[in-house]
Amino acid sequence: MSRYAMVTDLRRCVGCEACTVACSAEWNVPPGHGRTRVHRTPVTGTFPHLRASTFVAQCNHCDRPPCLDACPSGATFRTDDGIVHVDRDLCVGCGYCVAACPYDARFIDPVARKADKCDFCAARLARGQQPACVTTCTAGAKHFGDLEDPASDVYRMVYLEGARRIETAEVAVGPNVYYLGRPEQLALVAASFAPRRPRLPAAGEAWRRLAIPLVAAAVAATFAGQAIAFFNQLRKGEEDFEG
Amino acid sequence: MKAEAIPAVPDPITAEQARAMSQRRLKKHHVAIVIVHWFNAVTWLLELATGAGLVVSRHFRVAPAWFTALVEGVFGTRANMLRFHEALGLAWIVVFLVYASFGWRTYLRAEVMHREMGLDRNDWRWLAVRAARLVGRSREALPPQGSYNAGQKLFGWLVYTMVPLVMATGVVMTFRLIGPAVVGWAIPIHFAAVGAVLAGLMVHVYMGAVFPEEKSAFFSMVSGTVDELYAYNHHFTWWREMKLAEREWMRRHDREAEGAVAAPVPDADEPGGTESPD
Amino acid sequence: MGDGISRRAFLGTVAAAGAGAALPAASRAAARPTGWRGGERVEKGATLCEMCFWRCGVLACVADGRVVRVEGNPDHPLNRGRLCARGNAGTGLLYDPDRLKTPMLRTGARGEGRFRPVSWDEALDVLAQRMKDLRARHGAESLAFFPHGLHARFFATLVQAFGSPNSAEPSFAQCRGPRDVGYALTFGQGLGSPEPLDLDEAKLVVLIGSHIGENVFTSQVAAFAEGLAKGARLVVVDPRFSTAASKADWWLPVRPGTDIALLLAWMHVLVAEGLCDADYLRRYASGFDRLAAHVRDCTPEWAAAITDIPADTIRATARAMGEAKPAVVVHPGRHTTWYGDDTQRARAMAILTALLGSWGRRGGIFLPVPIEKGIFELPEFPVPARGRADGAGTTYPLAPEETGVTNGLVDATLTGQPYPIKGWIIYGQNVLESIPQPARTRKALESLDLVVVVDVMPMEQVRYADLVLPEATYLERYDPPVLGTSAKTPFVAVRQPAVAPLYDSRPGWWIAKQLARRLDLGVYFPWASPEEHLARTIEPLGINPLELRNRGAVALPGAPYLEDREAGAESPFPTDSGRIELYSERLAELGADPLPRYTPPEPPPHGFFRLLYGRAPVHSFARTENNRTLSALMPENAVWLHTGPARALGLRDGERVVLENADGQRSLPVRLHVTEGIRDDCVYMAHGFGNRSKAMRRAYGRGASDTSLMSRVRVDPLMGGTGMHVNFVRPIRAGA
Repeated sequence: MSRYAMVTDLRRCVGCEACTVACSAEWNVPPGHGRTRVHRTPVTGTFPHLRASTFVAQCNHCDRPPCLDACPSGATFRTDDGIVHVDRDLCVGCGYCVAACPYDARFIDPVARKADKCDFCAARLARGQQPACVTTCTAGAKHFGDLEDPASDVYRMVYLEGARRIETAEVAVGPNVYYLGRPEQLALVAASFAPRRPRLPAAGEAWRRLAIPLVAAAVAATFAGQAIAFFNQLRKGEEDFEG
Repeated sequence: MKAEAIPAVPDPITAEQARAMSQRRLKKHHVAIVIVHWFNAVTWLLELATGAGLVVSRHFRVAPAWFTALVEGVFGTRANMLRFHEALGLAWIVVFLVYASFGWRTYLRAEVMHREMGLDRNDWRWLAVRAARLVGRSREALPPQGSYNAGQKLFGWLVYTMVPLVMATGVVMTFRLIGPAVVGWAIPIHFAAVGAVLAGLMVHVYMGAVFPEEKSAFFSMVSGTVDELYAYNHHFTWWREMKLAEREWMRRHDREAEGAVAAPVPDADEPGGTESPD
Repeated sequence: MGDGISRRAFLGTVAAAGAGAALPAASRAAARPTGWRGGERVEKGATLCEMCFWRCGVLACVADGRVVRVEGNPDHPLNRGRLCARGNAGTGLLYDPDRLKTPMLRTGARGEGRFRPVSWDEALDVLAQRMKDLRARHGAESLAFFPHGLHARFFATLVQAFGSPNSAEPSFAQCRGPRDVGYALTFGQGLGSPEPLDLDEAKLVVLIGSHIGENVFTSQVAAFAEGLAKGARLVVVDPRFSTAASKADWWLPVRPGTDIALLLAWMHVLVAEGLCDADYLRRYASGFDRLAAHVRDCTPEWAAAITDIPADTIRATARAMGEAKPAVVVHPGRHTTWYGDDTQRARAMAILTALLGSWGRRGGIFLPVPIEKGIFELPEFPVPARGRADGAGTTYPLAPEETGVTNGLVDATLTGQPYPIKGWIIYGQNVLESIPQPARTRKALESLDLVVVVDVMPMEQVRYADLVLPEATYLERYDPPVLGTSAKTPFVAVRQPAVAPLYDSRPGWWIAKQLARRLDLGVYFPWASPEEHLARTIEPLGINPLELRNRGAVALPGAPYLEDREAGAESPFPTDSGRIELYSERLAELGADPLPRYTPPEPPPHGFFRLLYGRAPVHSFARTENNRTLSALMPENAVWLHTGPARALGLRDGERVVLENADGQRSLPVRLHVTEGIRDDCVYMAHGFGNRSKAMRRAYGRGASDTSLMSRVRVDPLMGGTGMHVNFVRPIRAGA
């Protein structure tokens, strides 16, 4: 089985946004949103000793994706190749997954009003093509492939050249988008793109911590009362009730 | 029919009286109500099953995995299941909108609601006695009840408040209205409202389908009628109104022989009580 | 194919193929973009991008008569399937609802912007008559032509046949002119576009003001990134901490206008420490001794005081160049009209390149390959009674007559000297934004007898037009084939329509041919269709035109390095002497500095900052600002100001300011970007914003225009280029 991963080479990436637009054009993403997004780290240091980096963010197709549990309907699911998909037929647009993603890689498509995000161009992969962002990347900074294939670029970059994931001790969900670069570039990106704690929106918390226990209690109480009544009924026999 | 005295409180009756009363039937439900009731029942059953089957997230699931797998198996895919859940829900809403637009004068006007659904002291007492008797803690007689007993009234109120919420949130989710925050809140509200109705529904079903005392009530949802003996025992107040109305009808019928009578009678088109009692 | 995607194939005879698509019948296709959906039946047709000027190969994906996606053409040797943000957003131009839709004739006063729609017949009849009147009254030379791009070439032929020599593109006097003149003086030839830079093989890259990454030309970025990934070291000379600077081994935040001092000091180190490529210089160059003497006193210490770059850094970078030679790319730049001594700066860069032995060497600058073009037998073009009015070849002795000097034409229009210019035809150029001193341009426009605008988008200049002709976009038309002479893999490529023109727009070839017929100049267009024009142009190459049209581009053999050229063949350095001229006899003859000399720039007045400007990766200036996708990514520009002065002025990051220049001109309000990443004596903004055309609804009023603040220029006396880094501005809190 494949295990897909993306590697962005920070030494190459110039932040030109070709990936962003190719992706938007490929998937008809409404303007103002992106399945991939180009970020710039803040400029650190004091003139003229400065550092900064551009990098590309997208869905990390995490090993333990918090969005998966946050999605009530199972519209978000993960296939054996590691790709986390959104089944638009099942999505109701509640936005729980958007809040859950530690990398803010998800958004609600304002036209379809459903969740959207990168799926590693699964439809293109099925046609034998590379993801649109990889094909178009002007700087050749994006690499996609199978981590289980030792002949792949990503295998080399991840296992031999030290491409790293952006995660913290607190939030370690196993992202499968890696970054390769000089140590100071990686440090900058890691600092400015640290994942936040996955969370549920207030509505989801209210559902999980309030509505479900209350309903469960009410149903259980009712059930218990009825069980007693039924037991009573059996004990007494039906005739006793008549009249 | 002879003019017997109509008692003001439920007196004990003789076996002969009981036999005679059990042969006579009173009309309780319009045929439309009967149809809507069973449509409603089937809808709830299917919507509950598919609704529970749709929620598979670890955080929110209420049904076990085998159940969601079962329902999914029936529908082929969960997307089909969702489509079915939404379509049936919308159909249900449409039926009730039609029902409400034709029947609101009969069932939903404020004074009707007050009379039919209002809870008085007898009702609260009934609830206490009923509960105590159910668990075998009391053998006290139940206070007299109108066409709906206090339990039915409470359940009615629950349904009247929760069902619009279920419908509104369902529509919000189906069409993903307003924005993700609103859709996000629609889900727990939908769930909680359904949950509340479900708790009441369990009593309702138990009483109707399992509890022997209310057997007549169950069959009334098929035939639309109840026997007089059941009405006398379970809905005395209503039975008395029926009898008074019946007496009035007969009196009008024999107008030339009798003089004018000023006995207070219910309106001619009130629910439940005013159909011709034969 | 099973997945519903196929590559468009042109079959049948050349004359018949695609004739339908080229016939500009009004299209019923809805002007509404739709997304790409995997399941649709999609046909991919090869063509060339025109979201900028690099002409990458693209595939237009057509479904149901609409272009749903534009993607890179893997068969094009330039971009090899890669494509930048703008290229990927091509449908946004095609389906821009604000496009010019129909020919329009002015009804109100000039500049008022009131028009009535007219038919093409009426428009072209009127234009032909007005041109004839102009010729009768003022002579054919009184018509000036402002073209830009491939598509304008048919019309350029028409203007030449009409009898006017006065054509000028801003790509010369506002952009690459000084560079190409400076390199031609040194190596015998300019660089052209795309620049023949062997970035992917370089061991060291020197960028002077070039901001690759923010300035995105797909193949150049690709080669640059490839070089860096292979370990090339990078020197970035820029007052601003650009994206490229963030990747640099050495960032040299040079004091603006002092680059020549830095270049001379580098030469000094190379000469003094014996780091030049002596064999190369001996074999190919002349004037080394004079150069060595010239830079003897230009020590790093001398330059450090001028440039603010520490002497050690200058030495270290020069030594790195010496080590990496000849695989060093000293990027010649593109927009090089900065300070009015730009030809001399280009000369200094060319000389540095020569000292490192980089021209014609692997990892340096490779050699362009001539590509033979089919010749049409045209009648002689009329010889204009009067020479060029813009000073090309005369006032500006090194400005070639083929390119012309746009600002020279503006001057002639305003002064009537050397003779009056009475008509302008503006074709794909945005004269109010591309030429500095827009107030003068505006005044010139107001004084004319005839103003014609041929364009796709309603830029502000449309307001001044007597006649507006809506041109088809690059996805709807044929253009002359591109001969990629300056690519490492030379190629021939073709632009061809993916869909029929929308609205009542027409392709440029059709407009030129129709107008020519009305001016009795039809003999200059001896081809029936653009397909025939294509076939005859590429005839000498022996390429099947159908194959070219199917693939979009065909690669030709190249010989990029000196070692590929036969010994004893023609000199690779076509200067007068046939050698690399470190010392320029030509400049000496003209009374100019034969070796570049540093002249100090005028310092900013107290309280003012030098206005610098550049590119943003997602825009090609005003031409993409109205694009729905690109506008969403970058709706407006921002002004970069260093933290120190911002604090002193009490200005905060993100707030809106108005820029006022030293002549009191004010910009539209613009967002302030407070950063450590720029020197404290200058401000920076992306060029092309501050759109003043209400008809471009998405772009209108967004950001600030740097051009609007360029009330001053310093003209290069050698070639007429307008030095534009000579304006000073101060930020004022908006509303204050």
